[in-house]
Amino acid sequence: MIITPNELQQWVKEGRSFQTIDIRTEEQRQEFPLSALEPVASSVDALPSTNGQPLVLVCQFGVVTEGIILERELDNAYSLLGGALAWEALQTEKEDLSRWSRQTALPELGIAGQIKLNGARIAVVGLGGLGCPAASILAAAGVGSLQLIDGDRVELSNLHRQPLYGSDDIGSRKVTAAARRLGTQYDQVILETVPETLVSGNAKEHLNGADVIIDATDTIRARLVIDRASRVLGIPMVYGGLYRFEGQVAVLNHHGSPGYRDLFPEPPASGEACAEAGILGMLPGIIGNIQALEAVKLIAGIEPTLAGRLLIYDGLSHNTTIMDISTKE
Amino acid sequence: MKITVKCFSQVKYALETDELSLELNPGQTTADVEERVRQRAGKKLDGVLLRTAVNRIYVKEPRDLEDGDEVAFIPPVQGG
Repeated sequence: MIITPNELQQWVKEGRSFQTIDIRTEEQRQEFPLSALEPVASSVDALPSTNGQPLVLVCQFGVVTEGIILERELDNAYSLLGGALAWEALQTEKEDLSRWSRQTALPELGIAGQIKLNGARIAVVGLGGLGCPAASILAAAGVGSLQLIDGDRVELSNLHRQPLYGSDDIGSRKVTAAARRLGTQYDQVILETVPETLVSGNAKEHLNGADVIIDATDTIRARLVIDRASRVLGIPMVYGGLYRFEGQVAVLNHHGSPGYRDLFPEPPASGEACAEAGILGMLPGIIGNIQALEAVKLIAGIEPTLAGRLLIYDGLSHNTTIMDISTKE
Repeated sequence: MKITVKCFSQVKYALETDELSLELNPGQTTADVEERVRQRAGKKLDGVLLRTAVNRIYVKEPRDLEDGDEVAFIPPVQGG
């Protein structure tokens, strides 16, 4: 069984009887001693008997103890979700971060990265094929606030690649339907909706205050509008684009890295959107998730990112090519 | 000398291949390769902006090529 730091805190407050077993190394125990839990240090192989008291097993991330309980079929034993690090975060940050314990276990992210994510604000421009998976996984990852920007309404032909919507949403504003779905799934995220198409006249106003902008639009003109605002406001933009089985991702305008206008300087005479070129829904799913990954890396300060580089993914061969776009020549 | 052309998105569909091998004369540049690619595509790449990379590095101006170079043409993609 699992117990969250919040639930365990409640047990302590209520004065419930339980025994905490700390299976961590001495060094880890000294770093985060869990004093309020009055733990008994024990090796995994010699768990003490508890005289009928519930047993709360604690390891560093809450992963090892979960395995022990399952493997040994221990009754009346709980694994502390997120482990000692999540308990410590509850004491210092007054926030239970255990729902993200499987990502905070990554040394590159950790509790510190999660706290940054929880405080971050990301603008998702375009709630279509790319915007749906990006917004969804960012809300799941614990991003504090998402700004959803799109002037379109849901159409039947969107449903195969835009999984935030169902038949009941046809005719509704995309941002309204997306916020409804995301709000039901993820109760911690603040959702702000802008039912407008981003144009040069309103872009800076809407994007101001974001930490990262996800460009999930479907016209080059819109990308150039976002690019200009991103550059002026000094907010990095994670570009994603699609053509049939191929997708592109780049982190633009990040600490002086090239922008979209350096990649493709002028609106082209041609260039088909998904509606004309054809698209399978998995492709925007993959590319939107790569965009979200880059956004998380930017916020948590995880390197390297795709700043100064253009990733091209081919869904037929699964070849990934990365171009260096940082050249000034 | 021989170079390889990597084709992406519309270029790949226009040429019906993702890779070409081309024989070039010494002194020929990326602009010459682009010209040959556009000729081979017929009218399918008319009006399509192509960005060029040599050995996976973007180049903004035509560049002399060497034997074994890999030239890529990347059009902007609109979909999202």
